[in-house]
Amino acid sequence: MKKIILSILTICFTTGLLAQLDRSIPPSAGPAPQINIGEYKKFKLSNGLQVFVVEDNRLPFVAYSLNLEIDPIVEGDAVGYISLSGSLMRSGTANRTKGEIDEAIDFIGATFNTFSDGMYARSLKKHSETLLEIMSDVVMNPSFPQEELDRSILRMRSALQANKSDAGSIAANVANVLRFGKNDPYGELVSEETLENITVDLLKDYHKTYFRPNVGYLVIVGDISLKEAKKQAKKYFGKWKKGDVPTHQYDDPAKYEQPKVAIANREGANQSTINVTHTVNLTPGHPDAIKASLMNQILGGGSFNARLFQNLREDKAFTYGAYSRLSTDKRIGHFTASTEVRTSVTDSAVYEILHEMTRMRKELVSEEELDLMKNVLTGSFSRSLEDPQTVARFALNIERYNLPSDYYRTYLEKVAAVTPQDIKAMANKYLHPDHVIILAVGEADKIREPLSKFSPTGEVVQYDFYGDVVTGPREVTDVNAVEVIERYLEAIGGHDAVNAVEDVKMHASFTIQGMQLNMITQQKAPNKMLVETLMGGNVVTKQVFDGENGLIVSPMGEQRLEGEMLEEMKKASALFAEQALLKPDAEIELVGVENVEGMEAFRINVLSNGENTKSLYYSVETGLKLREVSTGMQGTVISVFIDYKEVNGVKFPSVMRQTAGPQTFDITIDSIEVNTGIDDEVFAL
Amino acid sequence: MKQTKKLLLFFLGLFIAMFPVDAQSGRIEFSEFTLDNGLHVILHQDNATPIVTVAVMYDVGSKHERPDRTGFAHFFEHLMFEGTKHIPRGEYARFVEMAGGTLNANTSADRTYYFQTLPSNQLELGLWLESERMLHASVDSVGIQTQKQVVIEERKQMYDNRPYGTILIETMARAFTKHPYQWTTIGDPEHIMAAEDHEFQEFYDMFYVPNNAVLVIAGDIVKEDTRTLIEKYFGDIPTRTEEIYRPNIIEPPLKAEVRDTIFDNVQIPLVLQAYRTPALNTEDYFAIDMLGTLLSTGQSSRFFRELVDNQELALQVGTFPLPYNEPTVTLTYAFANMGIEPHVLEEAMNIEIEKVRNELIPEEEFQKLRNQFENDIIGGNSRIAERAHNLATYHTYFGDASLINKELEKYMAVTREDIQRVAREYFRSDNRVVLYYLPKR
Repeated sequence: MKKIILSILTICFTTGLLAQLDRSIPPSAGPAPQINIGEYKKFKLSNGLQVFVVEDNRLPFVAYSLNLEIDPIVEGDAVGYISLSGSLMRSGTANRTKGEIDEAIDFIGATFNTFSDGMYARSLKKHSETLLEIMSDVVMNPSFPQEELDRSILRMRSALQANKSDAGSIAANVANVLRFGKNDPYGELVSEETLENITVDLLKDYHKTYFRPNVGYLVIVGDISLKEAKKQAKKYFGKWKKGDVPTHQYDDPAKYEQPKVAIANREGANQSTINVTHTVNLTPGHPDAIKASLMNQILGGGSFNARLFQNLREDKAFTYGAYSRLSTDKRIGHFTASTEVRTSVTDSAVYEILHEMTRMRKELVSEEELDLMKNVLTGSFSRSLEDPQTVARFALNIERYNLPSDYYRTYLEKVAAVTPQDIKAMANKYLHPDHVIILAVGEADKIREPLSKFSPTGEVVQYDFYGDVVTGPREVTDVNAVEVIERYLEAIGGHDAVNAVEDVKMHASFTIQGMQLNMITQQKAPNKMLVETLMGGNVVTKQVFDGENGLIVSPMGEQRLEGEMLEEMKKASALFAEQALLKPDAEIELVGVENVEGMEAFRINVLSNGENTKSLYYSVETGLKLREVSTGMQGTVISVFIDYKEVNGVKFPSVMRQTAGPQTFDITIDSIEVNTGIDDEVFAL
Repeated sequence: MKQTKKLLLFFLGLFIAMFPVDAQSGRIEFSEFTLDNGLHVILHQDNATPIVTVAVMYDVGSKHERPDRTGFAHFFEHLMFEGTKHIPRGEYARFVEMAGGTLNANTSADRTYYFQTLPSNQLELGLWLESERMLHASVDSVGIQTQKQVVIEERKQMYDNRPYGTILIETMARAFTKHPYQWTTIGDPEHIMAAEDHEFQEFYDMFYVPNNAVLVIAGDIVKEDTRTLIEKYFGDIPTRTEEIYRPNIIEPPLKAEVRDTIFDNVQIPLVLQAYRTPALNTEDYFAIDMLGTLLSTGQSSRFFRELVDNQELALQVGTFPLPYNEPTVTLTYAFANMGIEPHVLEEAMNIEIEKVRNELIPEEEFQKLRNQFENDIIGGNSRIAERAHNLATYHTYFGDASLINKELEKYMAVTREDIQRVAREYFRSDNRVVLYYLPKR
């Protein structure tokens, strides 16, 4: 009886619903389901290897991933050897050839990849022992055969070549160089030259030094019990010997004082690949991390409703997609907003990105929008739990980044607690529209001009695939290099006036990261020089050259110059460097005419043993020197000379804008005195 | 090797991640029924994680398009996010994301697929949204204008502006002369630009109807309640009584090799061979798929070992049949190493193919192939969303969702002789298109 009533009720209920269905009202949610985070277990081997186990019996697979905690390493002139050391580990061991490893792995249908900071292996459970046999051999006894290295290098060369026509790869390279500088472990680039320098010994050394169990975490996920996992870990990784693993620390790259506008050309591009980016100090699990990630989610996380997507795609139809990313990193991460748009709207797209960044900083986000993004984050967190690897990743992060043990269990509570004020605070802390790198890869000649408005100086620098500055010269035939130099000397006052200068004393000032510095330069013909940098009236650094010997005094100590550095100093000390270029032994060549600071300029390359060491740019119109780009021991330095003023019949620039790495600063010349009769004693070492 | 990997990913990304070669050793249980209006429904219950996937596959892809209106099916995929009678423009995705869900869609030559994965207490919302889309999506001029431009940027970003990005477009245009597989889903932007608003409405009226779709609900559900809710939201959507266009075009055999060179903004040469091969789920398809793995999957595969490792001719190789439900092509390709002439590389590829044609593959290597497929098939279908997709595909293509549980046995039925036979039958020079992608000078 009860049953009948129930079914009658059900029918009424159902038909009632049908009759009443009002489609204009979205249905409401049922009671929220319980979100369960799976369990993990951990143990440690006597060699220090920490092991995490997540048991999941839904599929008959077991996955083993080894993760090593290794600091970033500067690779210098052999960039690429670390990643090759990782990928080539599986290309032969003391007991197996590459062919044998490949054959054995493929035979059991397994996945097995090796990296510079770990490896990943997965197979059906019934093949686990075979897989671990190989994995263990590869971890402990890789042989790095020369012929496998040669093959990989050949492939990497081809891949490099391929990437040169890929806008995304060009953008990634240039952005890394601009963000971190070329000598930073995060800014170093693989090139044909660095591949030349990679040797088997480098790979072996890297493996021997860094592949140690005491910096490792082995994560085992799948159809396996704790007991089985313990037995396997011991059997296959117990003999792995521990060792001291060096740690490395680096200074943070300098921040840009003002927006830096950069472009790169991609042949035949019909779109611009835009990156608006800057470095960010945000470590994983930092108390800001969740709030900041929610802030980025609102701006440009992967949802349809994020502001960049809505603005650039749904409203303006500039693009197929627009996103932003705020990466956390143990050392230094970055913020990057990126999109690909049609060439004609490149500048408009940049404008909108900057606008959205600024809006995040200025306006409070509405409760509704915040709720939406909290739900997006909560939903994605819940969905990720479908994969047992997620629980393993949580365990690993807690251990690696020293997070509280309930970090993930309370994750959703932390998300729920974020306020609009928090979001604004995060935007102000982690978004810096005034210090961004604005990079566009596309049709360089069409985007250069439109983008110049984002640079306070109007300067747009073009880079190539390797993050080197590109200057595209126009050929000239009616003048030669010597004539250009002669025109310059004429323009600053003529040979007689220049020759009449015996000595120069120059007071200048500049600001680096808010610090006011003064510089006093004294020079005496032909090539004596003293440059002192002062902070608050005290000398911080001193460079001196007495005509033959040079010395640098800095807080790090004194250094007497030798070899290449001495040669550089010698050249830099000449009162009027151009005079030396007119001597018969000088190697100079006129490359052509280029656009510099919006003016046409002759470009002269100064060579040393056939290698270009310096490029000088002289205005076609006035003959004056506009820019100097020199590559030396300290990397590439770009100097721009602005606003020449006359002293004793000779013109000197009154501002020199210097760019070295990511840093640009203006050196303002406060005073210049000529022929005051500086004593030779001043230049004594 | 980061570069190499990226290159491959790029390349594979072009073919739509739609390889329904997955299934579990344990059967995937499901039930199905058809509403009075013709909407077919498949339910799959798995309560392990509190999420649910709501998906609709429409039996319309680029092959249903008019030759002068290519790109329509894919354009619709964009348009279907614009809104409905009750959902204002731009709000569709908002509802899903507000509920903590995620959504997307994709289009292939054969079908268009919409899917959302929501917390399981939001199932009803998902049903409401998909039923709105099926009943009265707004096909209005604001949406059409916006998406016209977005799709053009998509074409540039994903195809024209990407090295080798036009490869499928160039291949299919040469492999087919009659069948609509000759164009790809992105289509010709000019066709979309030229289309008038009423044409979009007509396309919607023809294909976005319950008797041209399958609804799949997978995940944390209670079956009976779900069925009631489906009736509630989809039961009153009118069926289409007029005919729905079904292409019935047979492509004649190629008969002679088609060979061409594309000069593009690329740096390294690519050699591609496209062999005309049978449709998904045919006996020969399974054998061809295994042949592709024999040649190019894993570092011990024949192309990899010979062309990449031993002879150092290639940077990267690949072979796979396109998983289409009518006869199409199997692609096999190799990126040349620096300084290697494409014809030298192609010759080496041909020698390897010739070997399969002439010699039965050794037992041990055959066992390896079987193990590889066992691994892939058992490992596939691990996620709710994958299962929903595969159930929908098998129903749409073959009217039989239970095929999801038969994949392993079909691959295991393939013999060494079958692999040799399909190599002989289809991997012939007069049955292929050969393209060289070379750097523009």
